[in-house]
Amino acid sequence: MLAALYLIFLWVPTEATMGIVQRIFYFHVPAAAVSFTAAFTGGIASILYLVKRDSKYDDLSVAANESVVLFGSINIVMGSMWAKPIWGIWWTWDARLTSSFILLLIYASYLVVRRATTAEQRGVVCAVICILGMLDVPLVYMSNRLFRTQHPAPVMGGGENSGLAPQMWATFGVSMAAMFLLWWSIMRIRLRVARLDRGVEDLTRRTHELVDAGAV
Amino acid sequence: MTDPNLSWLFWAYGVGWVLIFGYLFWLSRREQSLRSRLARLRELLEKKPERKP
Repeated sequence: MLAALYLIFLWVPTEATMGIVQRIFYFHVPAAAVSFTAAFTGGIASILYLVKRDSKYDDLSVAANESVVLFGSINIVMGSMWAKPIWGIWWTWDARLTSSFILLLIYASYLVVRRATTAEQRGVVCAVICILGMLDVPLVYMSNRLFRTQHPAPVMGGGENSGLAPQMWATFGVSMAAMFLLWWSIMRIRLRVARLDRGVEDLTRRTHELVDAGAV
Repeated sequence: MTDPNLSWLFWAYGVGWVLIFGYLFWLSRREQSLRSRLARLRELLEKKPERKP
């Protein structure tokens, strides 16, 4: 991550049209890529949970889905702070921004529903919301290819006039790797917390059963 | 000459890092609280008296 920050702030050349604020790109896009990957991870874990009913998949799903909210928020907030000086507005309801916002809302609602449902209902209800969220990801990704948007067309793989200078590519690659490493570290911590949570829930249930049976 | 948009760059990265560290802080607090609850529950279950026949 330090290498990425060095490249972003000290090494990569400043973009000619937008100036220094274009450097937001090196965190804005990797944050989106991580949130998409996390959404797919959570979605696949949810499908596996529905098929196998193994709680480890539910733990993986909650860890991934919380990181969708974290990295999705970073993506949207940083994008908004890039938009203000360049477009003159913080936000516009174009296809890309709206679909990204809906994705964030789906995952925020997942977290709310997770807290509001009982342990028996939780896994299945949350898995269904999570699969719906995963289905929104291709729509977000394709939105600026399918519709005319205020958000710029794809810089990479977006057609003849798209592309980056070699130094920008290198910085982008390192930033992407750093963001995925950060995500992986956060996922490991969150999975540990999810297992602890499950342990507390199981012991609480056992304690209640013993209290009801008059043994404690 | 300093770019007039330098402050936007600063604030964007600042907010990004605040979100990351805020989440990590929340996670570590949650982990601590769960560990202490788990320890209390284990203690409670170990202390449970033997039922008399």
